[in-house]
Amino acid sequence: MDLSLDSSTLEFQAEVRSWLAAHVRPLSSMDTAPGFEEHREWERRLAAARLSVVSWPAEFGGRDASLLQWLVFEEEYHAAGAPGRVSQNGIFLLAPTLFAHGTEEQRSRILPSMARGDEVWAQAWSEPEAGSDLASLRSTAVRCDGGWLLRGQKTWSSRAAFADRAFGLFRTGPGERHRGLTYLLFDLRAEGVTVRPINQLDGEPGFAEIFLDDVFVPDRDVVGEIGDGWRVAMSTAGNERGLTLRSPGRFLAAAGRLVELYRKNPDPALRDRVVDAWIGAQAYRLHTFGALSNPPSGPAASVTKVFWSELDVALHETALDLLGEGAPGWRDGWLFSLSGPIYAGTNEIQRNVIAERLLGLPR
Amino acid sequence: MTPEQLALRDAVRSLLDKHSDVRAAIETPHGYDKDLWARLCDIGVLPIPEQYGGSGAGQEETRVALEELGRTLTPAPLLSSAIVAQALLATGDEEVCGRLLPRIADGTVATLVWPWDTAEITTTPALDHPEVTTTVATASLDGTSRYVLDGDLAEILLVSDGTSLYEVDPGQPGVIREHTPTMDLTRRLATVHLTGASATRLGPWSSRIRDIALAALSAEQVGAAARALELTVEYTKTRVQFGKPIGSFQALKHRMADLHVLVETARSAALAATDEKSAAVAKVYCSEAFFKVAAEMVQLHGGIAITWEHDAHLYFKRAHGSGQLFGSPQVHLARLARSVP
Repeated sequence: MDLSLDSSTLEFQAEVRSWLAAHVRPLSSMDTAPGFEEHREWERRLAAARLSVVSWPAEFGGRDASLLQWLVFEEEYHAAGAPGRVSQNGIFLLAPTLFAHGTEEQRSRILPSMARGDEVWAQAWSEPEAGSDLASLRSTAVRCDGGWLLRGQKTWSSRAAFADRAFGLFRTGPGERHRGLTYLLFDLRAEGVTVRPINQLDGEPGFAEIFLDDVFVPDRDVVGEIGDGWRVAMSTAGNERGLTLRSPGRFLAAAGRLVELYRKNPDPALRDRVVDAWIGAQAYRLHTFGALSNPPSGPAASVTKVFWSELDVALHETALDLLGEGAPGWRDGWLFSLSGPIYAGTNEIQRNVIAERLLGLPR
Repeated sequence: MTPEQLALRDAVRSLLDKHSDVRAAIETPHGYDKDLWARLCDIGVLPIPEQYGGSGAGQEETRVALEELGRTLTPAPLLSSAIVAQALLATGDEEVCGRLLPRIADGTVATLVWPWDTAEITTTPALDHPEVTTTVATASLDGTSRYVLDGDLAEILLVSDGTSLYEVDPGQPGVIREHTPTMDLTRRLATVHLTGASATRLGPWSSRIRDIALAALSAEQVGAAARALELTVEYTKTRVQFGKPIGSFQALKHRMADLHVLVETARSAALAATDEKSAAVAKVYCSEAFFKVAAEMVQLHGGIAITWEHDAHLYFKRAHGSGQLFGSPQVHLARLARSVP
């Protein structure tokens, strides 16, 4: 397999690299109010350089970059130690859904401000009684004049503590479980919305509970058909589990840092684990490059999700074992890595998907 | 895969489905089915250009075929002969290629004695490798090499001392070859003793041949691991306990799902193995993936896997034998540790 890059991709790579070298600086945690605004400002600067959403069409602020170019962008982005993407829920989860199921009006109204970080999106899938079993969700949207009224409670909503808007599934009936759900967009500052931040294990509110008490949503913020929400949401769920959420660049960069760390703190007892983790990052890269013509989606994305989330934990655990207690630079990443096997559909759910839909094992 | 490679895969798979009988083959004096090998050569699984009597297949096609042979554990001298073909082509010597490659294309077994160049990514001899030394002036070779693929059967014998590549007539008195009994009955190995063996220098030894060999072996390992998992999945769909197929129990499902993740990523690593680093990555990753799948195959089958009649032990033994072949994962991991990133 030939992994060499064509000339236009090399040119793009050089542009990204030099722009990042000139602009990257450390920011405060995006899970604090000031840090969130710093990250929003960073998104604006990326957008001004047309680097915030490179894979999107040019009319919405992108560059029509190929998947290969996007992977290259991600490798450069993480190698440069650039900030986490506060707009991630919007650009990687909602946007693909709008491209697939939204209207022209929705795309032109929503995507440009998303690309600039002017509107930051939170996700509102889970509910207290509907986690892995998402189809048991109970929040409702009731028809009213000109739109819908939302009632219920969402939880584990990433970025919701400081974000502007959110997307999620609501029960519009008739039918049970996967039937009668509708994909809706709502304003987190609308009347009737109460956001209660939840502190994560690092002490900062990376997610929140959302209480909805007759929150009005106009008809124009329904994505796809009424009652077709499950299909609309699931058709792009692979984006979250698969490549776009966690590209190989993230792990290649972490593996590179781990190797550097080993050089400074060589502990022969840990050498094999360091190389194993590095091999894991290489294997993930080769796996995604190998899948360029046929990117993992649907059940195949579950394979990717299990792989990267466990690799992330292994990388960080190895770094911590190398450093012992003096590992502040890795500690936060390690704490965050613990959430990888849980968010975007727990790895247990992914294993069910792999077993039943790829291996054909009985339910 | 290209349409041609898919066609090749299907042709090899269907041939093996019809004619590969591993248990019968390992009972034969040479440990492989000669008729089947002749048919495989006819299909064109060896990486030999048409000008030298081959099918025009390349390394990629050979890897496709090796993955199929791996699936069924079919013993055949493909890995050994393919490595020799690549080593000969790498010399660029038309006379030598013209003399030896057509014979290999016709199925003559060929093998290479080479240092499993494990100490450095370049060319330092390995700790566990036989000391094959050269008396350059007389081109005579001395030394003993263990674990030589098809070493006692080969009619064409190449030897590398880590610096040069030589052709050695295996029939001469200075060459003594002994079949090595192996735990993995599906792999033919031998010890080759060279005592003042006269040798013709063909050219410099290229470490590319090591990388090609590692990539080829990785493809075979992936095929075997994939098949071991398929057999396990099939078994758990049919074995009923507590009134249900055991494959419906989540405790088992999740183990098989993890194995699927491993096999798919191992396949990517094997396919991408093109240079020193990626070939070493593939050898480590695919060896360990196959160890894991074969071990789980035994556990998920339960008692039946502990019987001689069941094939699980053949996969398990192949996993461990091929893990050691051309250097263990630890050896290549150490090599990577010195060269990373």
